[in-house]
Amino acid sequence: MTLVELAFYFGLLSLISVGGLPAVMPEMQRYVIEVKAWLTPAEFIEAFAVGQAAPGPNVLVASLIGFKVAGLPGAVVALGAMCGPAAVLAWWVSELWDRFKDSPWRRALQRAIAPIVVGLIFSGGFVIATPGAIDWRLWLIAGASAATLLATRLNPLWMLAAGGAAGAVLLA
Amino acid sequence: MQEEAAAPPQTLRELFTGFLWIGARSFGGVLPWAYRTMVEERRWLTPADFTETIGLCQFLPGPNIGNASIVLGKRWFGLRGAVVAFLGLMALPFVWVLALFALYVDFASEGALRAVVLGVGAAGAGLLMATAVKLARPLALRPAALALMAGCFVAVGVARVSLLGVIPVALGLALLAAWRGRL
Repeated sequence: MTLVELAFYFGLLSLISVGGLPAVMPEMQRYVIEVKAWLTPAEFIEAFAVGQAAPGPNVLVASLIGFKVAGLPGAVVALGAMCGPAAVLAWWVSELWDRFKDSPWRRALQRAIAPIVVGLIFSGGFVIATPGAIDWRLWLIAGASAATLLATRLNPLWMLAAGGAAGAVLLA
Repeated sequence: MQEEAAAPPQTLRELFTGFLWIGARSFGGVLPWAYRTMVEERRWLTPADFTETIGLCQFLPGPNIGNASIVLGKRWFGLRGAVVAFLGLMALPFVWVLALFALYVDFASEGALRAVVLGVGAAGAGLLMATAVKLARPLALRPAALALMAGCFVAVGVARVSLLGVIPVALGLALLAAWRGRL
């Protein structure tokens, strides 16, 4: 039953995840923590952190949530549901998209979606740094890593490493 | 570089190993490694092809790079290509992330490790916000775009309204604004 719920919910998210996983992160957090209580707020941020630290597409965070909820089958189902419907859409749309290259509708749609995606990605970061009550230490680490990414050309892995070190000092 | 013709993969095996190799080293984001593998090393795509494909995939829902594996696999080998490219991309990262997580859960009772992982998570959250800021820069000159970005953030990030309610409203307003030349 849980597997069906996972498949259905992540399949739905798949179809609205314009901008990728970060854009649906707030919705995922709301559903998984608040509605279903599958994970605690701390477990959610941990799954996200492990997903960030491992190589691969960040959509794999979905498989960690599935794993937490229903073990290995849950991991496979969550990842498949998160990618499947979008993949089918990509399959069909890729031809149409080329055909309508110069259509004003395509340009209007692209322009309309851009600011929404940006707002949602920012929200994704914000909700991860704010699991439950406000914790200024998490905000401090998030703010420092954001500022470093914007101000330098360092590989983002350094920011993750520094965040881990800061966590060991501030959060232990 | 631009002038060299691209040479798509000749066999499904080549396609699979190419995407496997992308997934295997994609620490800190897949996109740079996808570019390196497909454009610079194997010359499957020209830089312009790559940008155009990624542009479409960013617009589509779903993981960008997962969609790119579908679109490119389809272009080169049809349905089999799409499946093979997607599985190649996901196989190793899937195993690694689960192994890492299982290992983590085993040791999570140690407070120090939890603190480190929470720190990594917060830093990753910061990277997302910074990425949003980068993407926002070219849009921020338009008041309608700023209003949409802020509105989405307040509704979804702060008020925690369900995305299923926010997206239709935001998309309707945004299409209206775009059609009138405000975006």
